[in-house]
Formats: sequence, C-alpha cells, structure tokens
Amino acid sequence: MKKTTFLKAALGAAMLFSASLSAHAEDVLAKVKAAGTLKVGTETAFAPFDYIDAGEHAGLNVDLFAEIGKELGVKIEWVALPWEGVLPGLEAGKFDVVAGPATITKARLERYRFTVPIAEATVAILKKAGAPISKPEDIAGKAVGVGKATAQLAQLTEFSATLPTKVDIREYPAFNDAYADMAAGRIVAVANSLPNIAFVAKQRNGAFEVVLPPFGKKTYFGFIGTKDADHASLVDAIDAALLKMKADGRMAKLQEKWFGQKFDTPDAVKDPAF
Amino acid sequence: MSFKLFFLLLKAAGWTLSISLVSILLGFALAIGLSAVLLSSKRLYRAPAELFISFFRGVPLLVQLLFIYNLLPFIGLNVPSVVAAIIGLTLCTAAYQAENLRGGFESVPRGLIEAADMAGFSVRQIFLRIKVPIAMRLTFPALVNEAIMILKSSSLVSVVGIVEVTKMAQDLASSTYLPIELFSSAALIYLVICWSIALIGRYTERALPGGVK
Repeated sequence: MKKTTFLKAALGAAMLFSASLSAHAEDVLAKVKAAGTLKVGTETAFAPFDYIDAGEHAGLNVDLFAEIGKELGVKIEWVALPWEGVLPGLEAGKFDVVAGPATITKARLERYRFTVPIAEATVAILKKAGAPISKPEDIAGKAVGVGKATAQLAQLTEFSATLPTKVDIREYPAFNDAYADMAAGRIVAVANSLPNIAFVAKQRNGAFEVVLPPFGKKTYFGFIGTKDADHASLVDAIDAALLKMKADGRMAKLQEKWFGQKFDTPDAVKDPAF
Repeated sequence: MSFKLFFLLLKAAGWTLSISLVSILLGFALAIGLSAVLLSSKRLYRAPAELFISFFRGVPLLVQLLFIYNLLPFIGLNVPSVVAAIIGLTLCTAAYQAENLRGGFESVPRGLIEAADMAGFSVRQIFLRIKVPIAMRLTFPALVNEAIMILKSSSLVSVVGIVEVTKMAQDLASSTYLPIELFSSAALIYLVICWSIALIGRYTERALPGGVK
C-alpha cells in the first residue's frame, strides 16, 4: 500500500520535471528582452579582455557588452567562473552567452556557435626579460606555461611536436597564474594570444617581453553561444550589434583603447586555420 | 597594499561568512532530522539516511558543487550561484553533523536512561531532560569543529561563481601583482573569523548545562 503511493509520488515528480524541461523550449532573445537582462558567463582572469582591475570588473568584454546591451535594450548581468567551468555552464543554461572570449577553432565550431570575431588570437611567446629566447623555436626543452583547457594549449602542443626537443608544457588554471609563476621564476615563458601578452608586457613594464613573430596559425577571438534553435535569434542579434559597431568605428575605438592597435578581423570565421 | 584592497577583501568576506553561516544552520536542522532517522531501529528507515550520508561524505565537496550547479538545470532546476553554493555546503555539512549527533545520542549512558525510567520519567522527559543535554555536551566540540571546517571549505564556492575571500584575493593579486600581501591578508581574515567561532564556541560550551566553569 505504502509502496504504491510512493511510486505514484515519484511518477508525479518525474512528470513535473519533464514538463518543466519542455517549458525550456522558447526563444531566448524574447526571454532576455522580457527579463531586461542578458546573462553573460565569463572568466575574469584574461586581461585585457576580462579582468578585475583593483576590484572593478574591466576589459574589452565589459565595454563591448555594455554597447551590445544598449543595442538590445537590456542590462548585462555577469557570471564569473573559472574557465573550465564556463562552457559547461553555458550548456547547462546558467547564462545566455559566453564572453571569454575564446579562439575560434574547428573543434569548438562543431559544438558552439561563435559571434563576429572581436580580435586576433594568434599565439605568441611572452618571456621573462633576459631569458635566452629570441625566436619562438628557442622554447624547445624549456618550461612554458599556458592556460588549462585553452586553444592556446592545443597550439603550443602542436608547435612543441615540431621542435627537436619537446617543450616542458605547464598547464595553469588561468593565464594569470602562469604570469605569476613566470614572475616567480618557475617557468621562463608563457604562450598566449598576442593581444593578451602585449597588454601584460605593457603592464609589467620591463619584467616581461613579447617574442615576435607569433608561432601559431592566424586565429581570431569570438564570443560563444550555443547552436540550438532557441539561441539562434540571440546570437544573430549580438552579431548584428557587433557588425554595427564595426561599421560605425566603435569596435576599432575599443580595440585601440585596450590593445593600443586596431585589428583587421573578418566578419565571420567559417573555416578556421586551427 | 592600499586600504581599498583590504576593504574589497573584507567585502568578499561578507560572502564567505553569510554563505557559511546559512549553510551551517540549515545543515544542523537537516542533521537533526537525519540523526533521528539514523537512530531508528527500523533498517528500512535508516537505509536512505545512510545512503545520503555515504554519498555526501564520500564525494569531494568540489565535485558536489559542480554537480549541483551544472546538473540540476537538466532536470529543470536552474538555481543561481548563491543557492547552488548554499545547497552544496548544507548537504555536505548535514552529513557530517548527522553522524556527530548520532554518536552523541548513542553515547548517553544506558544506566542513566534506565534510572530515569525507573524514577517515572516519561519517554518525552527522558529525551528532553536526559538525552538532549548530554548529547549536546558530547557533540558540541565536534559541531564547532564542523563550523570551522565549513567556513574554510567555503573557499571552494568560487567554482560556481561566488567571489568570496579566496577568489577576490586571486583576482586582485593578478591585477595588482601583490600576491604576498593579498594572500596573507586573506589568511588573516580567515584566521580572525575562525578564531572568533572557536571563542564563541568555548563560551557557549561553558554555558551549557553541566559545563566546566
């Protein structure tokens, strides 16, 4: 007797859950506009795109999304997670879109939909000042730091395989931890995208130096959305806002502000080099 | 290190303190229910509580938090960061506190209960006058321990998007390049909070019936 009531209750609960699951299927852009807030997931350890500047959330992401928010007529709500948690969070529906940004790669395009590129992402080496590295190939056999679960790590691994001695690759939870370890002398270099390391080199004036040319293939940074039909209109709207900002010069102005230079980025990356 | 940075750490300590406090209290309430079930003589009642405890004691808190944050949305429960953090810490601490309480109640000397029974105490009186005061005294140090453990474990909730003391120190260290100053300040803040909990615990323990004055 008791067992059947328990079964009935369990069945009822299961039905409730499945009902709320089907209620999920609705246009995300309409939902965002109705709520008046766009939830954006990000990692706050990726200067100059996204970082905490003496307590204030700052970076190109913050400025770009402020403009996107104006275009869509919504407020931006930030959710900051460690990078490994950001893409799972997007898939779990914790936020509507991911700032990051992330390098647009073949593997990621299979699973996610990227927005209009916002900057170049080609990977280069940042070395501790005075370290005996004058060209990218010189990192062979040396300890080089890179962020965990990043496209930069994949490119460094690929580059390492082409060298006579493999690079001693050290993975860090965030690039900031890698910079800190380089300052402490545990590694001699960090591999990251050019805009990031150029910014870090400028901030740490003299302590770190950028090694040119970049060793990676030409890649670009974009914001990340999901591929499903519910999110299509939202990513379309963000794309439209970004293209509008590219056309009226706001994007170039923000790139100048954060990188000290403009980037000639394509309007879409359909077939990335990496 | 400027005063402004320390103030930001203190503000983040507000999250550490409030999330831990709510979780410890909710966890204690849940633990009372769980321990009551654990003390039941019927195996059928004990089994679900034992399963709950072995799960929440056996899986790392970090994994539990990621589980709650990322998996619940798939069954239609999209909880915000703060709620996910509190649920994680609450369920975890409830499992430990329930075992503490069970141990406490089982350590009440049988002779005392039998004596009370012979003196004509009702079951209710035995519970309220004999079992609860003795069990409270026996488990109180372990509960204070658990509160301190949870407060320190709350540094893990940054994985679900809460900027508490540890995460704030990391964020600030990476933009100001003052890791030593910031992490020592964070350590100091934890130390002061935990020390206060221990102090409050000691005074409360003395005030309990039968306390060593």
